[in-house]
Amino acid sequence: MHKGTSTKTWAFLMVSPFILCFILFWLAPMLLGVWVSLHNWNLSSGNNGFIGLQNYVDILTPGSLYNEAFMLALKNTLVFVVISVPPLVIIALGLALILDHLPAKLKPVFRTIYFVSYSISVTAVSAIFLWLFNENGGFINNLLVSMGILGKPINWLSEQPYAWVSVLIATVWWTIGFNMMLFINALDEVDPSLYEAADLDGANGFKKFIYITLPQIKHVAFFIIIMTVIASFNLYGQSRLITAGGPEQSTTTLTMSIQNTVFSMNQLGVGSSMAILMGIIMLLVTAAQYFMSYRKKEVN
Amino acid sequence: MRRKQKNIIVVTLAVLIAILFLLPLVWMIFTSFKTLSESMSSSAILPKVWTLQNYINIFSPTSDAPILLWVFNTAVITIIGTVLVVAIDILAAYSLARLQVPGKKIIIGTIIFALTVPGIVTLFPAFYMFKSFNLLDTFIPLVLPYTASTMGVFLIYNFLISFPKDLEEAAYLDGASQMQILRHVIFPAIKPVAVTLGVITFMGIYNDYLWPSLVINSNEMKTMTLGIATLIQGSNFVNPAGMMAATVVATIPAIVVFLVANKYFVKSVTNSGIK
Repeated sequence: MHKGTSTKTWAFLMVSPFILCFILFWLAPMLLGVWVSLHNWNLSSGNNGFIGLQNYVDILTPGSLYNEAFMLALKNTLVFVVISVPPLVIIALGLALILDHLPAKLKPVFRTIYFVSYSISVTAVSAIFLWLFNENGGFINNLLVSMGILGKPINWLSEQPYAWVSVLIATVWWTIGFNMMLFINALDEVDPSLYEAADLDGANGFKKFIYITLPQIKHVAFFIIIMTVIASFNLYGQSRLITAGGPEQSTTTLTMSIQNTVFSMNQLGVGSSMAILMGIIMLLVTAAQYFMSYRKKEVN
Repeated sequence: MRRKQKNIIVVTLAVLIAILFLLPLVWMIFTSFKTLSESMSSSAILPKVWTLQNYINIFSPTSDAPILLWVFNTAVITIIGTVLVVAIDILAAYSLARLQVPGKKIIIGTIIFALTVPGIVTLFPAFYMFKSFNLLDTFIPLVLPYTASTMGVFLIYNFLISFPKDLEEAAYLDGASQMQILRHVIFPAIKPVAVTLGVITFMGIYNDYLWPSLVINSNEMKTMTLGIATLIQGSNFVNPAGMMAATVVATIPAIVVFLVANKYFVKSVTNSGIK
């Protein structure tokens, strides 16, 4: 049989399951999404006619219902990106540095402990932090009040800025291990002879970090920043389940807003346009970060 | 001497942070053994009175949260989904990296393009497709869409193009068939990457929330992750102890898989897309 069937036939047979799945579950939905976004398309009654770019115009025209929902959600999402990316990157680097300085025997133990929460589902994470931060009967309020630190319970979940604090703490606890692993890998790759040379010159730990470690890991750090921005842009589960998008929709993110448009308002067409706009915004932010770092590289 | 002092400081710091990381999990486990009233008022981690009542409640057949069914659903879709994704991706990546696939450049270009498009763009249209074909509330949308993920093909393809061809060529000269080469040369070589992909895929399907929440409605079809979300959003579920018992059931299998696969998972994260 091995001479009977040609390599080309084998190649075709092997690649076709993936191509088929890709067309059915990625390409078709992708094209359908673009198509639907150009129509007045209801979730229940289907296509009500071609309207060109009207959905996009509606979303981008100030004052319209969809514009208000989209802009508020975009603002909320950007707030979360701004408050979450620095801690998710800096604390992750800090954890990686601590692990790097631990005795070799202890490294795997602590690495596993810092990373284990990443394996838990977002709904379980939300359940835990919902009941840690709950106003009535939540553990943190019980603890702080019983210790006399708080006179009365804080409304962690439905008052700002506490709502963001709760979502942020849950997110950091849940996802920071992933960034930490990437930093650990980057630190492992740094050439030890650089540190030895610095030791001979009598450089202290801080100087070694600034002049050797940081420049050596900057590409990985940049990759981590982009990944974290994308992940924060996609905030959904934590704010849906911990704060339910509140208070006053201040933690309603883009994904939640699109979901509301599709399911509560029955507007699949407008929702698809919003999703495509969100995708374009994410791509632009990523590209901007990429080119900024690229130009810096050129200057250096 | 100074080195020892430095070690003590670093280890102490590491232990303190470890306590912070473990505290929510420890709290979850102990709260699941508290009585309802104690779980609402307690400011201590350990229960004063230990009870199994929360677990008895969630596993009772009259419970409106059929947890055993959710665990079963989760097991079915994660196992089938992971096997499918890994098998499909290995075959595709191998043929793209080593064989004469017609339109190879276009396929690889499309895969890279798809990697850059945010998932939100295809999410709701995919939901609408499954709705149009009356496939909502079945296992089909819970399993098949994951096979369109391009990350796995890209991961294995990247590995294979940097993997030397000598061994395959030698096997070819010895008269080995395409399938024999795949089984005896390629599989052993890509095993770590394939296991890595398997673990990532498993965790991805196991923990997915948004997609299953769109395509599943009935209580009987839910996954564990979705079930927990339902319990959170259920208006009458104001019971931290019961909630934590369900969360423990949802979380322990994931942690066990994670700990078993830890070595590969560490590798997978450190290898994915960086170099």
